[in-house]
Amino acid sequence: MIDLIKELTESYGPSGREEEVQKVVLKYLEGHIDGYKFDPVGNLLVWKRGRDDKEVLLDAHIDEIGLVVTNIDDKGFLRVEPVGGVSPYTYVGHRVRFPKAIGVVYYEGETPEEQKKNLSNLTFDNLFVDIGAGDRSEAESLVSIGTFGVYDSYFYKNGNFLTSKSMDDRIGCVVLVEVFRNLKDPRHTVIGSFSVQEEIGLVGAFVSAYSFSPQICVAVDVTDSADHPKGLKRHAMALGKGPAIKIKDKMSISHRKVVELLEQAAQKANVPYQKEVLTFGGTNAAALQRTKEGIPSATLSIPTRYVHSPSETVSLNDVEGAVKLLVSFVDLELEL
Amino acid sequence: MKEVKALYLKELSELDGVSGDEERVRKFIEEKIKDKVDSLKVDVLGNLIAFKKGTRSNRKFVLAAHMDEVGFMVTNIEDDGTLSFGPVGGVDPRVVVGKHVRINGELPGVIGYKAIHLQKKDELLASPKFENLRVHIGARSKEEASRKVELGDYISFATDFRQENSRATGKAFDDRAGCAVLMEVIEQEQRYEDDLYFAFLVQEEPGLRGSAVLFEQVCPDLALVIEGTTAGDDPGLPEHQWATHLGDGPAITFMHRGYVVNKKIYESILQVAQKYDIKHQPKRRTAGGTDAARLAKTGGGVPAGVISVPARYIHSPLSMIDLGDFENTVKLVSKILEEGEGFAR
Repeated sequence: MIDLIKELTESYGPSGREEEVQKVVLKYLEGHIDGYKFDPVGNLLVWKRGRDDKEVLLDAHIDEIGLVVTNIDDKGFLRVEPVGGVSPYTYVGHRVRFPKAIGVVYYEGETPEEQKKNLSNLTFDNLFVDIGAGDRSEAESLVSIGTFGVYDSYFYKNGNFLTSKSMDDRIGCVVLVEVFRNLKDPRHTVIGSFSVQEEIGLVGAFVSAYSFSPQICVAVDVTDSADHPKGLKRHAMALGKGPAIKIKDKMSISHRKVVELLEQAAQKANVPYQKEVLTFGGTNAAALQRTKEGIPSATLSIPTRYVHSPSETVSLNDVEGAVKLLVSFVDLELEL
Repeated sequence: MKEVKALYLKELSELDGVSGDEERVRKFIEEKIKDKVDSLKVDVLGNLIAFKKGTRSNRKFVLAAHMDEVGFMVTNIEDDGTLSFGPVGGVDPRVVVGKHVRINGELPGVIGYKAIHLQKKDELLASPKFENLRVHIGARSKEEASRKVELGDYISFATDFRQENSRATGKAFDDRAGCAVLMEVIEQEQRYEDDLYFAFLVQEEPGLRGSAVLFEQVCPDLALVIEGTTAGDDPGLPEHQWATHLGDGPAITFMHRGYVVNKKIYESILQVAQKYDIKHQPKRRTAGGTDAARLAKTGGGVPAGVISVPARYIHSPLSMIDLGDFENTVKLVSKILEEGEGFAR
């Protein structure tokens, strides 16, 4: 599983440019699914047929936050805007990876006072990217206006903790892949949706379930963990206490019955779990529950520190727990 | 192919059609296009959808532009005969002061403000608030005003269309420019490979609403949204913050609020523009949204692209476009259709 996590988190896949990551997913799923397709907006949908006629859809979004080039100047410097919820601070002094170039991100300032002012009130308008080009035409041979970039970051393991860019939500993709790899003769048909463009507005998940008829959807995504110095008050989520069954966030309230089934599945598989109430944020469950005539939906979360930074950190135990929990879940009798 | 030149832009710009009140615009378009398309319908929400059969009919291709414009609505008739009002869509209160308006497409009014002599220094610098602004229609009492106006009546800017050399000024280029582009494409009376659905949409400005019901009616395979978008070539902004530049051709969007444009469609638009040497520019800011975001998120999902006529000062009483950009937009859209099934394949 570590190889899969490393390969998926280090792949390039900002919102709208997810093909490379979807290929990695398909490679690891080979021999473990009955079929797959890409829908009109680019969601990768895979399935394994079950013994009965019921369907469960598991979702993980395959995109990550990033930057997009909006201008190239005469000297070859780039200007960028965020793709999804990116803080400009996470990029200062850090690198951005484009398909054909790596750039250093830094901020402007013509006097020490202006530098200080820009840094204390940083916006993307004050940032520029240096890809080592000598002039505009050299820069344009490497990137265009409209080229998307991601954190140039690498995966590493710190004991039981795993750190990389884009754990949000490649770790959810890892969980889905591992669930499929562990399905032998599933009771219900299991559909996996590796959804596009979640970070900018749940785009893919609004339509991914349209061509199926799932009884239940579960989005697998990261949630903010506050177990670090002066972490957010009021939040209970912590690394290592197991996957978190979401009760509510800003965009959706998990279907009560699906929450109960997830708890049942955890108990049956003997997986420790935590419950989650997030005071902000949202997942694809918010879009899935509003699809067609409505689909009972919930979210299973992997508690994550430093979400939307180049060093998103999760616990391997929670990831393994989520896989076991969901394998047990899709084998339950799905009576709502 | 018939030669056409910004044929309907003046009339479309001068028609009043604030979100939810698009009837005048719809009727005008319907009248002009009805003999040039195969069929036409107005749906429950008020979208006008015109159909033109393709020669191969393997794909359903939607071309969309929204008919509505930003404006205002009467929220109360005051005792002194003035009208309180609120914005419909995003309008900066600083641009409405001292302007002529029309109520329900006919009744003239003005939006007044305290004369400079009566303002304290801090008032002079502050942005006016809608709650302190009134529309005056010359009525002296609530009773007199109530004979002409009702709560909920629509208010739009009353700006005449003008053309100076290659530049045109007027209101509502967002998105009557898009409507005019679609009408000119229809005017060419060409048949293309794909089945075409020209969708003139309602209520884009308050939240991409008309486009939300297209999927169930048409089930499109792909869509192009034609917009009037913001030009940022403003002396107050450094060049790297310009969104688009007047005169540089249609702006092609790679990403905007809530949607990254389908890669195949974005790249195909660029290819067509390059192939026929049509002046064009990437839209260099990601702010603002269009019906493309809604189309991608409805039904089974519609991959959509966005092409825009750059317009300075949009969402104000007066915006400005370059007629060369307008013509190039018509040309680009026509060439895309000529590509037939080769486009975004």
